[in-house]
Formats: sequence, structure tokens, C-alpha cells
Amino acid sequence: MTKAFPTGRGRARRMVEAVRDVSFTVAPGERVAYIGPNGAGKSTSIKVLTGILHATAGDVRVLGLVPWRQRRQLARRIGTLFGQRSQLWSELTPRQSYRMLASIHGLDPSRQDARLGELGELLDAAHLFDQPVRSMSLGQRMRCELAACMLHEPDVLFLDEPTIGLDLLAKQRFRQLLVRLNVESGTTTFLTSHDVADVEAVAERVVVMNHGRIIYDDAVAAMRRTLLATKLVEVRLAAPAGPLALEGVTVVEHDDTHARLVVDTGRRSVRDVLDTVLDGWPVADISVTDPPLEQVITEVYNAPDTPDTPDTPDTPDTPGDAAGSPAAAGPGPAAPAAAGPGHAAPVPEGTAT
Amino acid sequence: MRGHWAVVVATAAARRTLSDRAGLAVGTLFYLLVTGVISTVWRTAAGESDTGLVAGYSAAALGWYLAASEVTAVAINPRLIEAIGEDIAGGAVESEMLRPAPVVGVRLAAALGTALPRIACCAVGGSALALATAGSPPDAAGLALAAPALVLGVACNVATQHAAAAAAFWLRDAKSAWFLYQKFVFMLGGLLLPIEVLPGWLERVATLLPFAAMAYVPGRLASGHVEPGLLLVQVGWLAVMTALAALAFARGERRLQAVGA
Amino acid sequence: MTRASTARAVGATFRAAAAEAFANRASFWSQATIMILNDVAWVGFWVVFFHEVGSLRGWEADDVLLLFSVLTTAAGLVLGLLANARRIGALAGDGELDATLTLPVPPLAHLLARRVEPVHIGDTLFGIGLFALAGSPTPTRTAMFVLAAVAGAAVMVGFVVAIQSLAFFAGRNEGGDLGVHAVILLASYPAELFRGLPRAVLYSVVPAAFVSTVPATLVSDFDLTAAAGLLAAATLSVLTGWSVFTVGLRRYTSGAAWSRA
Repeated sequence: MTKAFPTGRGRARRMVEAVRDVSFTVAPGERVAYIGPNGAGKSTSIKVLTGILHATAGDVRVLGLVPWRQRRQLARRIGTLFGQRSQLWSELTPRQSYRMLASIHGLDPSRQDARLGELGELLDAAHLFDQPVRSMSLGQRMRCELAACMLHEPDVLFLDEPTIGLDLLAKQRFRQLLVRLNVESGTTTFLTSHDVADVEAVAERVVVMNHGRIIYDDAVAAMRRTLLATKLVEVRLAAPAGPLALEGVTVVEHDDTHARLVVDTGRRSVRDVLDTVLDGWPVADISVTDPPLEQVITEVYNAPDTPDTPDTPDTPDTPGDAAGSPAAAGPGPAAPAAAGPGHAAPVPEGTAT
Repeated sequence: MRGHWAVVVATAAARRTLSDRAGLAVGTLFYLLVTGVISTVWRTAAGESDTGLVAGYSAAALGWYLAASEVTAVAINPRLIEAIGEDIAGGAVESEMLRPAPVVGVRLAAALGTALPRIACCAVGGSALALATAGSPPDAAGLALAAPALVLGVACNVATQHAAAAAAFWLRDAKSAWFLYQKFVFMLGGLLLPIEVLPGWLERVATLLPFAAMAYVPGRLASGHVEPGLLLVQVGWLAVMTALAALAFARGERRLQAVGA
Repeated sequence: MTRASTARAVGATFRAAAAEAFANRASFWSQATIMILNDVAWVGFWVVFFHEVGSLRGWEADDVLLLFSVLTTAAGLVLGLLANARRIGALAGDGELDATLTLPVPPLAHLLARRVEPVHIGDTLFGIGLFALAGSPTPTRTAMFVLAAVAGAAVMVGFVVAIQSLAFFAGRNEGGDLGVHAVILLASYPAELFRGLPRAVLYSVVPAAFVSTVPATLVSDFDLTAAAGLLAAATLSVLTGWSVFTVGLRRYTSGAAWSRA
């Protein structure tokens, strides 16, 4: 899909592509993270997928439906959680909001109670359903929001920056709940985030966007391995040790009690490094780890634009399916874009005070 | 130079208003709409009266009166009281207290600077409207005096609103008060009607309150009553309300320092 | 979705909106009361006016108070119960329509039902009270009053939705708010006060005459032609509002509504 927005006025008017030739397929039950820096086009993509915006070019189908044409039909089968926007009404209890949402989705009242019971248990939120939303912490509110978007048992869940604003513990808990929901109900989960830890904890597969294009699309596990051929070696020293000079090894830190080494596994095996260190240094403790995913992804953002990586193979009967065709958007050069409405908020015309 | 910060603040505020051309245009349009409507009402009333006068004002005089009196409604943010209350409750005033200039002084200078371009636009637009619908001004001298009266009237309005809004230091919710304040200005300030129309006792009450200095004085002058003493009345009220506002804010600031926001 | 299920969904949304508005009883009543006092001040204005003037183009104090009661009731229905009508421009500008678009409901119906504004409920309460006190309520007149207010509200909501939906085309601007103020301002006075072009405007582009003057006249003096005219105006206004919103929404979903310098 491609999504372009007109900007400028008169002569300066041109089309700016927020999303350009983005192509991917999501299998049922999959957990996909869609990440990128601000302005990468994540929010625009999710708005196209949920039918809020329509693509300028390309073919988009979610659950076999064209989102912007069959929006209300699609709305019955998807759940959406946009991090900064609430489905729950602040002066009411969640249960009161759920009643309204259930009516909107045409849920059977008997099924509604049973479903709330299930969700309350699953999300450990049952005790919150009868408290006014404004009296809750953000973490508690987000759990109730999750229940709101799962109420009608959607097939696909779209989450846009769901952990924004949550403290560390609340984030961890929320991520665990997302995984649990996916595992227990088989709901396909599609989340956008700029928090790499969301990816690590929740996703099985990650799609990295930058400047409106997909620059990486693979399983999370594969990402570390294929993208960054380095290992970190942390050494705790029993006594001060002399310098270390080994090809392929960068000594990042070295003081009397501790050293940190970065090993380029293409030029020097970890085994060699361990042998050398254990032989030559008074080692109290030693550990070998993968570089943090944050670092990996930063490298991906900063890499020169690579040609499209191969798509994950199509699986038959895919309910979530967004195949692109490389049609250009409109007149004018396709500039590396600012993003869509969520980011390029127009400057308000000055308020009279 | 004494007052230098006031000039700087006011100029910056005026520049900001001027840069928002769309807002200025919409505000002026709104003023013309409101003035046109209320002027039609009163001029029709004068036209239908046996004497051709209403409370001693002719239709032409009423047209010019209202063109001047309505300016004060549009020149400043009607929700100023609410905004001041929010600044107090939200802590913005606390940051202002850290500056080396008096809080109320800076705010007044800023509000007046913001209003000046609007006053100018409305004065021009209002004069054109009055000329077209009510004919030439009853007395050019009165009209000339109305110009500074407009500025003084707006200044009085801003000072009084600050004095009223300072209640937010204690009440924490000045929000809906602006509605009622506006009605005082409308009825007792001579904005919607010359205060001579009010029943005798109410007219006397109105002359004792600061609201008449805001809309009635410019209107009275513009409608052809050359009474320069009215400008002194405005200056007097401005001094009183500014002092009151400064006192209220000082008390409130001390409370903020003791108790916190 | 069937009509019945849409109606149920919209009804459930409205009930939730009403519950939310009423959640803080004290705040609800204090806001409504302030508006009632505000409207009482306007009655004060008219009392003073007619005490001085007697009658205006055939309209006397009772007639104008009846008009005012119809207006406040109708305006309260639109601004109070369908409170999002006047906020469509702001909602579109802030991207808040997205949440509505992800729900399986007709967007306009859901938006309008989704918010109740306590302060303007005060207007409706006042309008009903004013009619009860000064409108000589007989069963026939009361029934006519209800129909008149509803028709006036229909004209008003169609106009407000249409003018606010222009934000989809022209971007967020104060013009939409000006339109809302204008229709209320113009509907506050009998249309007979105006002549020529302004009067033509009141019966067409800015249908303020159909919000208050025509409905109020029907209450005191029923006329089949006028009633048919009011019904036609209400229908046309609602259809126009719905059309402009729907076409505008297509621009929003295409993202073209975000083209700004």
C-alpha cells in the first residue's frame, strides 16, 4: 500500500508519501510488532488497516475486507486500542462503558456477562470494572481498555502505542497480558510501538519501518542473529588486569574490577576470546550476551536503505493480508515523508486571548 | 526607564495579535455582526418612538453609541476570568512570580497590548458601519474623545477581571464566573443599552460601579456628548481596580508561597 | 446493520453520555444554574427595553419572551443534548474522529449522541420555565411549543453540523464557531426587525428566522403555510448538514483534510 497526503498550498502543493510501497501478510493468530522512529509511517499504516484512512495506491485486505470500503463490517471483527485515546468514559465505570459498547457491537446481553467474566479473570481486572475510570491509575485503565476492545471477541487486535505513558512494572504486566490474550483466544495481534521492549516481550515477528518504507521484516529471534554479528562479554575481575589486544575485540570498558568487551564474531570466535581472557586475566565471573535489541534496531534505522528483504511466505487462507503494488501516488516528487495526520498536526490558527 | 517592561510586553503582545490575521478578521467580523444587530434593534426602537428618541438618544446617536460600546466585548477574551483562574490553579502564575516585574503589571500590559490591534480594527470597522447605517457622527469632538476612551475602557475591563479572578487563589474554580461577569458589563456597563435606559435606582447603582467605565463612557462620547470629565472617571476606576487586583494577587501569591498550588 | 440495531446502539451511546454528564450532580446543577441566571439576565434586558420602548414593529414584551423561550429550549437541545454538533470542526482537527470511525455505527449519529453538555441543559430548563411563566400555557399552546422547539432545534442542528463540517474542507478555523454564535445571535431577535438583504439571509443561508421567529409565531398564531414552511426548512437543514458532513468525512478518511500550509 501507499498512502500520500497533499501538503502546501497553490504552487507549492505536492503529495508527500507517508507510507510507500509497503507490503506484508499477517497470518491468523500471529503477534506482529510494527516499529519505527517517529514519522516512520506506523500510525498512518494502522489507520489504513483499520479503515480510518484509505490508501492512495495498492490493495489492502483485512479479514478479506477492504478496510475503508467495508469499514463498519470490519469494525465488528477487529478491536482497536490507540494508546492516547480512550474508549472508556472517564466519569463512568468500565462496566457502564462496556454496556454501551456491547450495544454498539450488537452483543447478546447474556453472552456479554459471560464474556466480561472471562476477560476480568484473564486480565485480572474484574475488581476494576465497577470503579470510575478517572480514579484509576493508567496501568489499571489500560487493562480495562484492553477488555473494551476484546469484548466482542474480535479476530484481529490493532494496538497503536499501547504502552505509552505506563511505568515499567505496568508495561511489563500489560505485555504479559497481550501475550496471554493472544495465546488463549488466538486473536491476531498487530501492534505499533517505538518502544523496543514491546517488541521483545510481545512479538513473534517484527516489521521495521523508516521513512515510510519497510526496511526489515522477520522473526524477532532471527533479527539479533542475522543483523548484528556481535556478542557482549562482561568480565568481573578478582584483581586488576593488564590490557587486552585481540583482533576483532573492542574493549569498551576496563577498570580494576570490571571489563566489557564487544566481540565481532565474524573476525574472532567467542571461544577464542573466552580462552584468552580466562587464561590471561584473574576472572571472578564472566558472561556472554547478545547485544540489546535496542542497539540492533538502531543499527537497522541507521543502515542505508537496503533493497526490500524477502517477504515471509504466503500461507493459504490468510485472514490478514496487505499486498502492495508499487504504484506511485500523485504528481510531484515522492519526498521522504513526514507522517500522516497523527503526526503532522496542522498548526492551529492562533487563539485569540 | 520606569514602565519600560510594560511597553516591551505590550508591544510583543500586539505583534502577536497582528500576526494572527485570520483571528483578527474573524473577531472583527463578529464585532460587526453583533453591533449591526443590536444597533438595528435600538435604531428601530428610536424610529418608532413618538419623539424619535430613546432615553434622550436619537437613532443616529444610538448607532454610534453601540459601535463604541461593543468594542470592549470583542477586544478582550470573554473567558479571561476563566483563563486567569486556570493560570492560578495550574501554576503558571507561580512561574510569573519568579520574574522581576510585578505579576499584575505584566499581565495588564500583555492584555492591553493584545487588545490594541483589535480595538483599532473594530474602531475602523465600527465607524464604517455606523456611517452606513446611522449617518455621520453627531459630534466629531465626541468621537475624537471616544478613541482614548476605548483604550481606557478596555484597560478597566482587564483590571477588573483580574481583581475578580483573583478569587481563584482561594476558590480554585473561577470557571463559570465569566458568564455572570459578562452580564454585569452588558447591563450595568452600558454595553447593550445606554445606562440612561435603566430604571432610576438601577441607573444610580450603575454609575457607582466600575462597569460603566468600560462600555458606557466610550459610547456616551461617541454618541455626541462631549463630556471630557468621563475620561477622568475611567482613569480613576483604572487606578482603583489595578490596585485591588495587585492587592488580591499579592495576598494570593503569599498564600501560594505558604500553601502551594 | 439494521435500522433497529443502529437505533439501539445510538440510544445506548446517548444514555451513557447522559450518565456521564450527570455523574457529578453538584457540578451539573451549578453549571446549569449559571446558564439559567445568564438567561434571566437576558429577560432583564428585554423587560428594561420594553419598559422604555413599548413595542417594536408590532412585537411586544410577551411576544419576544415567547420567542426567547423557544430559542433557549431549542438551543439547549442542540448545544446540550447533541453537544458534539458544534465541536465537529475541533474533533476533526484533533483527530478525535478516529475512535468513532473504528466503531460499527453511522459516524454522525454516534458523534451527536456521544456527548451531553450540562451547562446548556440549563438553557432548555430555562426555556421551558419561561414558557410556563410567561407563555400563557394552554394544552394547545404547550403542544405547539414543544413542536416549535423541536423544529427550531432541527433547523439549528442541521446548520451547525453543516458549518462545522466545512472544517473538513477549509481546515480548522474559527469560522465554524462564528457561524454557531451568529445563528444564535440572530435568532435572539424577531426577524421582522430586519429589512432587505439581512432579512433574506435570515430566511435562507443562516436560517435563524426558522429557529425562533417562525416557530414562536406558530405558537401564538397557527398558520398552515408557515407550519409547512418550517417543516420544509427543518428537513432541508438536516439533510444539508448530513450531506456536508458525509462528503467532508470522505475527505477526512482520504487524509486530504490535512492539507494545510
